[in-house]
Amino acid sequence: MSKKMEYDRKEYDVTRTMPGNWYLSSYKFRYSLDHLQPWFKKLKEKKLVGTQCRSCNTVFFPPRLVCGYCLVKPDLWVDVRETAQVATFNITYEKNPQTGEVVEKPVVCVRHDGTDTAFLAQLSPEINFRETYVGMPLKVKWRDEPEGNIGDLEYYEPLEDEAKDLRKEE
Amino acid sequence: MDKVGIVGYYYMKMSPDLIYGRYNLIFETVRGALDSVNLKKKDITTVISATNDYYDGRTISNAYCVEPAGAYLADESKAEMDGAFAAQYGLMRILSGNHKLAVVWGGSTPSCYPYDSAQLYQTDPTFERPIALVNNITAGGFQMRAYMEKYGVSAEDIAKVAVKNRKNAAKNPLANPEAQNANITVDDVLKSDILSDPVTELMYAAPCDGLAAILLAPEKQALKITDEPVWIKGVGSNQDPYYLGDRDLSECKSMEMAAKMAFDGAGITAKDVDFAEIFEQYAHEELILAEAIGLAEKGKANELNSEINGDIPINPSGGAIAGHAPFATGLMRIIEAVKQLQGKADGYQVKDPKVAIATGQIGFCAQNNILYVLEKGGN
Repeated sequence: MSKKMEYDRKEYDVTRTMPGNWYLSSYKFRYSLDHLQPWFKKLKEKKLVGTQCRSCNTVFFPPRLVCGYCLVKPDLWVDVRETAQVATFNITYEKNPQTGEVVEKPVVCVRHDGTDTAFLAQLSPEINFRETYVGMPLKVKWRDEPEGNIGDLEYYEPLEDEAKDLRKEE
Repeated sequence: MDKVGIVGYYYMKMSPDLIYGRYNLIFETVRGALDSVNLKKKDITTVISATNDYYDGRTISNAYCVEPAGAYLADESKAEMDGAFAAQYGLMRILSGNHKLAVVWGGSTPSCYPYDSAQLYQTDPTFERPIALVNNITAGGFQMRAYMEKYGVSAEDIAKVAVKNRKNAAKNPLANPEAQNANITVDDVLKSDILSDPVTELMYAAPCDGLAAILLAPEKQALKITDEPVWIKGVGSNQDPYYLGDRDLSECKSMEMAAKMAFDGAGITAKDVDFAEIFEQYAHEELILAEAIGLAEKGKANELNSEINGDIPINPSGGAIAGHAPFATGLMRIIEAVKQLQGKADGYQVKDPKVAIATGQIGFCAQNNILYVLEKGGN
């Protein structure tokens, strides 16, 4: 059925490259943080809160503007514990552009106990990240003087995993 | 659903760095699809493009593609998603009854722009971008770790998928030469450079240059054009939440829903499928998606015999690992499925297939998924 293509398909030896830039830094996007203000206020007091959807009871931490499951605003503020678990993690390699030195860094998704969503966070530099595992219990290490932004959750420290030896027996 | 046929297709040999300009590539692809069934420009009534402004380096980038894509004085629209989603758009245009031939083309040339840096701009500006090192590859690392730990699947099992796909790619003459390797071993995959532990370089479908085009036509027209059309029996698409933390990364809920929708539409089940062409960004995604589609039980996809002559061949063409040309990969999966159904896959032909599935995806960790059920037509 198919006929062979007849037009010339010889290589184009000379192509031109044109430099181009996409000036993203000139963009001024507006991103509303209104729904996060109570959260930031509490962070400054070293307290954790999340929002719960009144329709499906999902607890969002960090708070979200919209619950995607129900298409309503989750507006019930609830208390959130300082303890968390590793939801998933990987190890990335960060290269210092000046020295060329490569640093191994774990990137973890943590899920606070009693919440339904996970978010990206830093692990304590003291943890040997080769020993990290999914379900590892963690606790928040606060910044010494909280400023009311996400940087106040400086990193996560390990907690004693009381059930670890029991799991090994299985 | 009225029958809509895939009547023609074309995609060029992928390459890490094509020397052609984009204008030439688009022309060659669309003209190639028309020539495969001896059609002319005047037969085209609608054109759907799948490109991305950011990757093309210009705004409303499809405006530039009017002439080479055959959209001159025809109606044209663009899906800024994977080509498989553009095909769904084309399908809907045909089903509207107003069109007799739809050209769906997609593709891009990552040799011209930093693909992985561009992916950074998909992340959330408040919680993800400033805190951690996140792009598509890190997200793939999350997904692989979650899958491995939940089901106890080892890195070797996942490396085997990469080995199978790269060996299949060696038989596929149109695959990216960098991905073709007939002598690759599991050890090679595990010992290649680590991109984001546990994902290694050879488990990742590295972006390469390439474009693809398919032609869609309603039943009557399709039978006039060709003796061996492939019918789209069912299609389903679905998407997961945007935030990675909202999802259970060890499974793919959206693909489950998409597959259910497509299978219900076609009136079949996953057991009736003869082979699958799955768009996998990483080796482990093939397992996760195969489980979501229902080809295997959860956590058991690595036990399937998915070789070309196996029980249920998956990616006989090599899949996206054989060459991932952003925005064309989903179309290439459809084209490879069509080739197999027509018995034209020289060297990697599955034995006598009747029903196939082809999937497309876009987003971190297969956020948006689409699945086509394709059936052999003609005699």
